[in-house]
Amino acid sequence: MGSIFKKKEANIILVMIVLSILISLRSEAYFSVENFIDIFKSNTVLAILSMGMLMAIITGGIDVSIAATTVAVTVITGKLMVNFDMNIVTVIITAAVCGIILGAINGFFISKFRIPPIVVTLGTLSIYRGLTLFFTNGRWITNIPLWFQDFGDIKPLGLPIQLYFLLGVALLSHIILNYTILGRGIYAIGGNPEATNRVGFKKERIELFIYSYIGFVSGIAAVVHSSIVKMVDPGALSGFEMEVVAAVVLGGANILGGEGSVGGALLGVLMLGIINNGLILARIPTYWQQIIVGFIILAAVSFDVLQRKRIERSMLKIDVE
Amino acid sequence: MGEILEIRNLTKKYPGVLALDKVSFSLNTGEVHALVGENGAGKSTLIKILAGVVKPDAGEIIIEGESVVFSHPLESLQKGIAVTYQDLNLFPNLSIAENIGLSQQIETGKLFINWKNIIQKARDVVNELGVELDVNQKLGYLSIANQQLVAIARAMIHDAKILILDEPTASLAKKDVENLFKAINVLKKKGIAIIFVSHKLDEIFEISDRISVLRNGKYMGTYAVEDVTKEELISYMVGRKVHYKKYEAREAGEVLLEVRNISKRGNYKNISFNLHKGEVLGITGLVGSGRTEVAQTIFGNNLPESGEILLEGKKVDLTSTSKALEYGIGYVPENRQTEGLVLDKSLETNISVTILEELIGKVKTIDKKKTRKTVKKWIEVMGINPPYPEMDVGQFSGGNQQKAVIAKWLARNPKLLIVDEPTSGIDVGAKSEIHSLLRELANDGMGIIVVSSEIPEILAICDRILVMRRGRIVCELKGNEYTQKEILNKAMGVGK
Repeated sequence: MGSIFKKKEANIILVMIVLSILISLRSEAYFSVENFIDIFKSNTVLAILSMGMLMAIITGGIDVSIAATTVAVTVITGKLMVNFDMNIVTVIITAAVCGIILGAINGFFISKFRIPPIVVTLGTLSIYRGLTLFFTNGRWITNIPLWFQDFGDIKPLGLPIQLYFLLGVALLSHIILNYTILGRGIYAIGGNPEATNRVGFKKERIELFIYSYIGFVSGIAAVVHSSIVKMVDPGALSGFEMEVVAAVVLGGANILGGEGSVGGALLGVLMLGIINNGLILARIPTYWQQIIVGFIILAAVSFDVLQRKRIERSMLKIDVE
Repeated sequence: MGEILEIRNLTKKYPGVLALDKVSFSLNTGEVHALVGENGAGKSTLIKILAGVVKPDAGEIIIEGESVVFSHPLESLQKGIAVTYQDLNLFPNLSIAENIGLSQQIETGKLFINWKNIIQKARDVVNELGVELDVNQKLGYLSIANQQLVAIARAMIHDAKILILDEPTASLAKKDVENLFKAINVLKKKGIAIIFVSHKLDEIFEISDRISVLRNGKYMGTYAVEDVTKEELISYMVGRKVHYKKYEAREAGEVLLEVRNISKRGNYKNISFNLHKGEVLGITGLVGSGRTEVAQTIFGNNLPESGEILLEGKKVDLTSTSKALEYGIGYVPENRQTEGLVLDKSLETNISVTILEELIGKVKTIDKKKTRKTVKKWIEVMGINPPYPEMDVGQFSGGNQQKAVIAKWLARNPKLLIVDEPTSGIDVGAKSEIHSLLRELANDGMGIIVVSSEIPEILAICDRILVMRRGRIVCELKGNEYTQKEILNKAMGVGK
């Protein structure tokens, strides 16, 4: 399907360059390899989750339970690691399976009962958060085994191990979206939901897949998160789902469905990262971060709507003689 | 040319209407067979039956000698019948190639999509149709005309043997029509049989081999295109028995609305007319004639590019619907269920929604007693049955729903009421009630514009009729000395 960087992505890059120039005028530390690796590393969880959220948003859906699912999985794997003899492979597998189960619960209600995704995932957001706090009493797990802590510091080829997880998830998502029939079905649902089944797709199955996949991605994100912070906080990532949505929308996905790409979502994450990191380095009060992010989101969405209106207007309705 | 499809005695009843009454006709391979008839003649019912969307009550469909029964649209597609509706079932966010070939890829049941194959096949089909389209382009950027060609290409890739085109040219520009016809001729040569539903006689005569006429659910005959004239065809189409009470045309009162030479690109051109107090003015024309666009303009929903509109002698600025409301203009939309009413709210809520300011009580909340009183008054005036203000409006019959929409606007006491297709989809009794209601309102001095494609209705209730064609008013008819046939002639551009 041609280049990943289509027109919309080019706009995002442009905005990022302008932002970077503005920031570097106020901070010399900004333009350095270390700083950029730091930006990437501190945003891997956001980036991995955005890969899942992207799929929901392309269909016109959303998953606000994504952060709650991630934290639930960090608690489960954290407890298991402390109490049982495990290794990194079994940890990853357990995390993925737990994530998929939690995600499939969302998928089941959304596809079978046709409840809007926002409602279902708001419900499970509360349930997963509540259960997590109930079983841990809100207590942190600080005695994470050393082998897992060490794993988080590995740097194959000089890059943090977390980035490899991101690379894997991003590649997998890109292949699913662009090279599988299922992936095209995801776009089809976003473009014309009524017609999806009529051309032969099975909408229910696709939706079940998407929310299970989001669960899977949350599981991976959970492992990555634990490997960075090296302990488990059952109250972590509160409200983080909104940041994930923001990154995906900033990355050019249409919140009404139908559009979005892996490349774009990653750029969206990078842009959020640059804003947060850059504004700190530029010693701009942190309140401004939220305000600026808000403005950029509004600008991006308005641009979409205006463009669509222009196209609609250009289509003549009646051939007036 | 062999026979590919035969329909025998197809009958379909809807409550109160016999939509199809023992219709029979046959279709040959490689022919373009036009299906004509007035609105409500049964064309769309026939198409829906062939598409497997609607089940017939009686009769037989025979494809290549085999009697078939469809219980689902996919079954009809598997038998080789493809239908392109106005709503094309396409995906605006996917590429042309995907829109054409995706369903075939799904049928393979494979995991990965074969991009090379899908693009190549789409390119082949598009080339075969003789259109220049980059198949990698997103469908949403195409004009309606080209989207239609994509829908046809999709039908071709499914090896359709019968292609049904439902009003394909209603919204197309002339050069797009040429492209479409080029494509149709390609299909014809391949031996595909095409059913072409249209109101545009010029085009029908240009492209078809045979023409079948439906009237009032009955089959009126099939004619080879060289054996029939446009005038004859129209006379076969009209003459449907409608028992509308005919109202006398009246003399005009003072001018209420003056439309002076308004134009808008792609909508209408040089439209001028007056509406008088106490007058019922009809605007009719085919789909795509611009009648709805003009009505929308007067309701402030479609700003013209030039020209002016005067209300009671003063120039008005109809830039939004709320402005139109302030000026005392009301609009009863064509689709009452989606645009006119909130179906799962009560009759009371629906009727009172336009006059909430008047119903605000002492403590700035809605005065329930006053609301109930007002609503009850309207239920009585309109004769809404059953007279239950608490009942959800969706549970009323079509006729009573329509009365509710009209009541909602009357409650605002408008000077001018626009009604778009006031009686579509409601039974005959309710129709005549609404007709007499509109006349009474006019008698009380309101100016009424009726936009309708049902010519007998326009003839029955209007004092004056404007006929539109291709964005222009082609004639203005006064009184009721005109016949259905003459109006249809004008709307279709036949004769002088």
